[in-house]
Amino acid sequence: MSKLNSNTLAIQIFALTKRFDSLIAVNGIDLGIGKGELFSLLGPNGAGKTTTINMLCCLLKPTSGTVSIMGYDIMKEPFRVKELIGVAPQETTISEHLNSWENLSLIGRVHRIGSKELKQRSEELLETVGLLERAKDRVGKFSGGMKRRLNLIMALVPDPEILFLDEPTLGLDPQSRRAIWDYIAELKGKKTILLTTHYLEEADVLSDRVGIIDEGKIVALGTTDELKKSISETNTMIISAENLSAEAIDGLRTSDRYAEIDNVSGKLKVSGKDLNFREVIDYLYSQDVTIYSAALEQPTLEDVFLKITGKELRE
Amino acid sequence: MRFLELCKRNLKETYRDPLSLGFLLGFPLVFMLLFGLAFSGETTPTYSLGVLDQDQSEISQAFVDEALATAFEITPYDNSSQALEDLKAGDLRAYITIPQGFGEQVYQNWQGESENIALDITYDESDLIVKEQVISMIDAVTRSFARIEVPVTLNTSPIHIESEITYIDFIAPGIIIFGLLILIPTSARMMVRDKEKGVLARLLTTPTRPWEFISSYSLCLFAVGIVQIIIFIVIAYLMGMDIVGNAGLVFLVFALTALCSIGIGMIIASLSKSENQADPLSWLIAMPVAMLSGCWFSIEMMPPWLQSIAHAFPFSHSIEASRGILSRGTGFEAVASDFLFLVIWTVIVFAAGILLFRRKMTI
Ligand SMILES: Nc1ncnc2c1ncn2[C@@H]1O[C@H](COP(=O)(O)OP(=O)(O)OP(=O)(O)O)[C@@H](O)[C@H]1O
Ligand SMILES: [Mg+2]
Repeated sequence: MSKLNSNTLAIQIFALTKRFDSLIAVNGIDLGIGKGELFSLLGPNGAGKTTTINMLCCLLKPTSGTVSIMGYDIMKEPFRVKELIGVAPQETTISEHLNSWENLSLIGRVHRIGSKELKQRSEELLETVGLLERAKDRVGKFSGGMKRRLNLIMALVPDPEILFLDEPTLGLDPQSRRAIWDYIAELKGKKTILLTTHYLEEADVLSDRVGIIDEGKIVALGTTDELKKSISETNTMIISAENLSAEAIDGLRTSDRYAEIDNVSGKLKVSGKDLNFREVIDYLYSQDVTIYSAALEQPTLEDVFLKITGKELRE
Repeated sequence: MRFLELCKRNLKETYRDPLSLGFLLGFPLVFMLLFGLAFSGETTPTYSLGVLDQDQSEISQAFVDEALATAFEITPYDNSSQALEDLKAGDLRAYITIPQGFGEQVYQNWQGESENIALDITYDESDLIVKEQVISMIDAVTRSFARIEVPVTLNTSPIHIESEITYIDFIAPGIIIFGLLILIPTSARMMVRDKEKGVLARLLTTPTRPWEFISSYSLCLFAVGIVQIIIFIVIAYLMGMDIVGNAGLVFLVFALTALCSIGIGMIIASLSKSENQADPLSWLIAMPVAMLSGCWFSIEMMPPWLQSIAHAFPFSHSIEASRGILSRGTGFEAVASDFLFLVIWTVIVFAAGILLFRRKMTI
């Protein structure tokens, strides 16, 4: 079992705990992330995402628990681990008086990347995030979002096997965010990626699996579909239509297959465990209802997030 | 080499920041000029000097009237007891006895033969002005009068004084060492700033080793230190400091001193979380050590127990060694023990710096 794990898992976390004085920031996390997997860690502010990542990248000493990365224990062989990882921290950290090339080459060089490869990779990355034209400017003069983009590609320049991206798209405009999503999507399967984000759409689109962490504990884990299914057993469809008669609606109500039927401002909402899309449409046609649109409503990752972390309730 | 790449980055961060560059280079410049001017001002007051001319030759007469009179207020005496009384009363700063044969000795020098010139100076031992200034002035005046390059033998009583030391020669090494002590806060600041901004944390996720971090900062700071030393020496030289001994040797003393300071700065940076912690801490160390090491006044005036504490630090050794080399032309053998002390200190502070960095900064 453990042999199998060490062959397929890039990151293995056992009972990882971090305590700051009285505050338990990370509370006994167990998690395995497969090689080539893109795993998103979601959670409200202060949940312990950054603290977890800091421990994984050998910056912070765990209070207890162990982590191994590609088979290397972070406490026993930190330098082996550091050779394998690329980290984009949540806080933008760049050398203000250097330009983008120099910032990238610094990280590349300390990872002992050859100068030819370094130049080529830097150029490619700068192009991806749209910084190539400004690459010779001092980064101190960059806008916040431009700094963020550089901060991200500095993690990518050594071409590491494992990437830790702490809110990689924080504070970016929609185009840049999209460009970065596309880039990350390209890396999928080739690199093991652990990212945190507050853009749940991003996690939904990109991730193989997500983990939701709250108050230092993983409270939900699985593929996005699994999580969505887990919070709702019922299916809901929304129909917008003309001449919806009261009889037609009542006809639906007589069936015990539909748990809930609402008609609010011309939009009919039908939900039920065994809801059949086709059946409802056919029925409404038979009642001479003109249907403009009809769609099955899926719970979003946001619904999952809110439900699981209970932020709705706390507020 | 990883640390060279990091050092390159540190250098760029330094010289591209006009403010920090201005501080690093402008500071020693202004500092040395200020000290130089402050102390050169002290040569202006004229001191009263008693003269007892036992030679009574034409040359000795000329020496008193044309040479000594330009630098001092002269009071002639016939016998030493009267002069001694006036010295005790404070009317005289010192009195000088021109021995018989003085004129002959000077004449020989004018003829191109190197004859030693002897003069007797009597002064109050506790009078530091005489100790550090009047004697050197007499020395300078005598040498220019007799046109000699060889040291004048000044038989001072009650204590014998090295004849060649002028005031700037005495004060400059201490001031330069103080300038190099200021590398402690400078060094601490450079590293702790990166720590505070998270740049160091980011680099700590790369395979860079603790010694590589320490050497990258130190190398950059050492370059800064070398430039500072050159500025110090050039200005001191322009202000009249003699370089009698081997300039390379004294440079080496200063360079080792700079390394000691940098190492201490690295230790402080490893121990502090922010610039706000590191800065006061490094000044708190630099200032008392400067005082104790004799940067501003001779440590011979301190009680012996304090002197032994002072000698435990490298900086009093740097001052003594550099003073010896600069003004007396002391050779390497004579300062070898000071050198050894500096080297040992350098090795220890760097080892401690790396160890602390490893313990404090990495898991
Ligand atoms: N150095 C520290 N000292 C003390 N407490 C800390 C420290 N770093 C983090 N914490 C605490 O640990 C908890 C988790 O913080 P963490 O930064 O991991 O949250 P996060 O999930 O990354 O949040 P966000 O979404 O806001 O980035 C917080 O309560 C925080 O106050
Ligand atoms: Mg965070």
